[in-house]
Parts: sequence; C-alpha cells; structure tokens
Amino acid sequence: MKREFRLSTRREFLGQSAGALALLSAIAAQRASAAPTRARNPFAYDVSRLEKTDPRLVTHHEVARWPAPQSPARRLGLAPDGTLFVCGGHYVTAVSPAGERGLEIALSAPPECVAVAEDGAIFVGLRDHIEVFDANGRRRASWDAPGRKSWLTALAVRADDVFVADAGQRVLLRYDRSGKLLARLGEKNRERGIPGFIVPSPFFDVKVAPDGLLRVTNPGRHRVELYTPEGDFEGAWGRASMDITGFSGCCNPISLALLPDGRHVTCEKGLPRVKVYSATGEFESVVAGVESFAANAKACGASDCSRGGLDAVADAQGRIFILDRVTAEVRVMQRRA
Amino acid sequence: MNASTPSEPTSRRAFLRHGARLLGMTALGALGGALAGRSRSEGWVWQIDPAKCLHCGNCATECVLEQSAVKCVHAFALCGYCNLCTGYFEPEPNALTTAAENQLCPTGAIQRTFIEDPYYEYTIDEELCIGCAKCVEGCSRFGNGSLFLQIRHDRCVNCNECAIARTCPGDAFRRVPASRPYLLKTSHAQ
Repeated sequence: MKREFRLSTRREFLGQSAGALALLSAIAAQRASAAPTRARNPFAYDVSRLEKTDPRLVTHHEVARWPAPQSPARRLGLAPDGTLFVCGGHYVTAVSPAGERGLEIALSAPPECVAVAEDGAIFVGLRDHIEVFDANGRRRASWDAPGRKSWLTALAVRADDVFVADAGQRVLLRYDRSGKLLARLGEKNRERGIPGFIVPSPFFDVKVAPDGLLRVTNPGRHRVELYTPEGDFEGAWGRASMDITGFSGCCNPISLALLPDGRHVTCEKGLPRVKVYSATGEFESVVAGVESFAANAKACGASDCSRGGLDAVADAQGRIFILDRVTAEVRVMQRRA
Repeated sequence: MNASTPSEPTSRRAFLRHGARLLGMTALGALGGALAGRSRSEGWVWQIDPAKCLHCGNCATECVLEQSAVKCVHAFALCGYCNLCTGYFEPEPNALTTAAENQLCPTGAIQRTFIEDPYYEYTIDEELCIGCAKCVEGCSRFGNGSLFLQIRHDRCVNCNECAIARTCPGDAFRRVPASRPYLLKTSHAQ
C-alpha cells in the first residue's frame, strides 16, 4: 500500500526541531560531564606556605627598575666609582645607577662574571678563562684556562690580587694582576681544618670584605665561609632551612654582596629571595621575598634551577641592586626610612 | 606420429607489453618488501620529553597499567649528590635521616646511600616507583634536575593512543623510534 506524502505543518516542524535540539543538548551535556577534568594533583610538591614573606621582615622597597642591557643576563659587578657592570649575552655593559648605558665590551663567549679594580681595569670571567680590559674597554690580556673542568662564576679584586671562584673545580683561585696563579684556596684539607667547597650547580661567589677577609659562599653546606687571602679558614655562618632565617633548597646562598658597614646581602634560588645578615651572620631582614620574583620562582619549577637565580651588589650609599636572571631586570632597592 | 607445430612468433608489441608488465610487478613486489621490512625494524614507541614535563602527577594515575609504566630515572652525571636532597626530603624535614616522615617519595622508592662526607647517592627502586614526579619537582625546583620521568619499555604496552599522553598538560609525550626509545638528560644544556 502506498503511503501518501504530506508536507509538515509549521507546528509539527517547530515541534520536531525543538525535540531534536533537546536531544542534541542532552548528548552534549552528557559528553561534557564525561570529559576528563583536571583533578588536583594528589602528589603535589607544596611549598606555597614558604612563598609568603612576613611583611614585618621586609625592610627595603623598590625605588627603580630597569632592563638589563643584554639578555640572557647573568651577573652584576660594581666599579669603585659606583658604575654597575652587567654581564649579559656576549657583552659586558657599564650602566649608571639610573640605568643609563655606557661602555660596552663585546666578547667571544658569554661572560659569567666581572670585577673592576681601583685603577679601572676590568676583569671579565668567561666560562673557562679570564680576559682583562682597560677602562676604555681595550683588551689587554687573556689568561690561560685554570683547568679542564673550570666554570668561573665570580671575581673579586683587591690591590694586587684577583680572586676567582671556579665552580667546576670547586676551588678559589688567587692570581696576581699579571695573571700568574699564586694559590688554590679552600680545597679540602683536614690538617688545616678546611672543609672544602660543595658546589652542586654553577653558583659560587666570592667577595673581599673591608676587614681583609674573603667571604665565600659554600652553597652545598648552606653557609658563607671566611678565609684569609692565604687560604686559612677563619669561620662560617649560615644553616640549611626553608624558613626565612636559613638557606633553602639543596644549595644556597648562590651569591653575596657586602653593605658598606660590613653586613651581608644574600641571594637564593629555588625560593628566590634576598636577605640581609649582620656582619657576624645573624639574620636581620628581607630585602625582597619570593613574591617579588614570581617568574624566577617558576623558572626553577619547570626546569632545573641552573637557569634561574639572582645576583646583587650594594653601593656605597647602601642601595642594593638586584639582577633577576629570568626577567633580565635590575631592581634598585633602598632601605625604608 | 605427431609432428610438433612451431609456436607462433611473438610480435614486438606483445613482447614489449609482457616485458613492461613483468617489470611493473617486480618493482611493486620490491617496494612492498622494502616497506614491510622497514615497518618491522622501525617501530615507534611513546616517550616523555623531560624538557616539557610539568611534573603534574598524571603519569601515576592515568596509565592503563595497574602500576604506571612511567618511572623516575636518575642522570647521575647531573646530580650534586647533596646531603640535603630536595628530591628525597620533604620541604621541611625534621632531620636529614632516612626516617619515613622525612622522605618525600610516597612509596619510599628512593634509596639514599652515604658515599663520603657530605655526599650521598640516590637511586630509584623501579618496583616501588609509581611515576608521580614528586621527587622530580623537588629536584628541578631546588636542584640540578637530575631526576626526571621516562616510560620504561619493559612495562609499557605501547597503546596506539596513550592514556597519559591524552591528558598530559605539557604535551610532553611523543612517538620516538623503537631503536632510540629514551630521551635522556645528559648535561645542563638540556
């Protein structure tokens, strides 16, 4: 029997359309509810509590911020006249405290550290050797690589001596101004009571304090050690702790600055923070907490921490210049009145 | 007596036609053989790119196996052999000892062995490791990133559509040749 074809009425058409729409909506809703939702990670490594700084401990505020002249930025140096030197890219660039660029020295490899002598001589540490420039940026010398495994991370100049922190060899090298190696300092020696440096990653710093002693970071032992220029171990301060008074993670502090009155400024990675310790090593205050370096803290989360980190120098007025290696910015911090 | 009848001589056109057909079939056979051989020797397997891994914990929960085929592995060349290993210890341990409450790993799969003052070696017990990446996060966050995740191919069933890859927020899963099945960290540059 042949069925007779008939056109739908408007009412039937609308009714059928509404029914189809309802069916499709129900299917879509069911699919959406079945789609995997990102649940909270039951294995999360939670350090959020440590990422908050008690505001009562923060004694400094930011008075200026300017971008590092070249990227990636690595370290800061401070000339005796107050000019900053920034290592970044394949350059060392002189910058005024206000951020105005001056002399720029091009290098064959990325500079790892820089120090400037009283007479204006500029010592630049590349990964495996040192290059010396005069105050006008003319290259005067290139010293031999101190070792096959060398990774130079810090330089400090005192009168006739140049001290070089070699993270690769875990040793402090003392040179004269002509580049002659005078001594290897800080190597483990039980008879002399020298504990030896533990440097798990390429962060190892040295400064010459006004009292004539060297301040050297020993990140694997979470402390700052004091040495005479002859290499005698004079003492140490600092302890491992995630709380604000200690040094966090596997290996901190990563760098060090000295205030004019002999107090210390320390920088940490992992939980990026900058703090002030007294001349004898008691915790005093926070210059900038983890909240100030959000991108830096994240850099250490996704990858290994050797790409993150902070560096600092302090000038004669007590201003602290902090280089954030991740954002390639320099912050000028001043003590609150 | 039967007299043999001489066969019909092949025309030039027929000869060329038969020759071309034979040549085509030979080429087709050779191509098929080569492809079959290649697919046998060049299989593809899943692997995690450590540079993209976000340590989200999905590897422990999303694998179709009862215990995930993803395991933590250790690049000893990168390790600092730290006393305070942030891949081994809780963020705020009571003491730097092997007591369970100080350990970060939920299954105690990391062995800590004294080498010499102040160095310790850390090794992974794969039978216990569930691939949760908690230690990887701790090591990457504060250390050298020497701990990282890899799919172990003695366990992985090589699903056509990997269940973990589907939910990986870092898009860290990719196919690699079976002849080179691991993506290892070997230096600070990686």
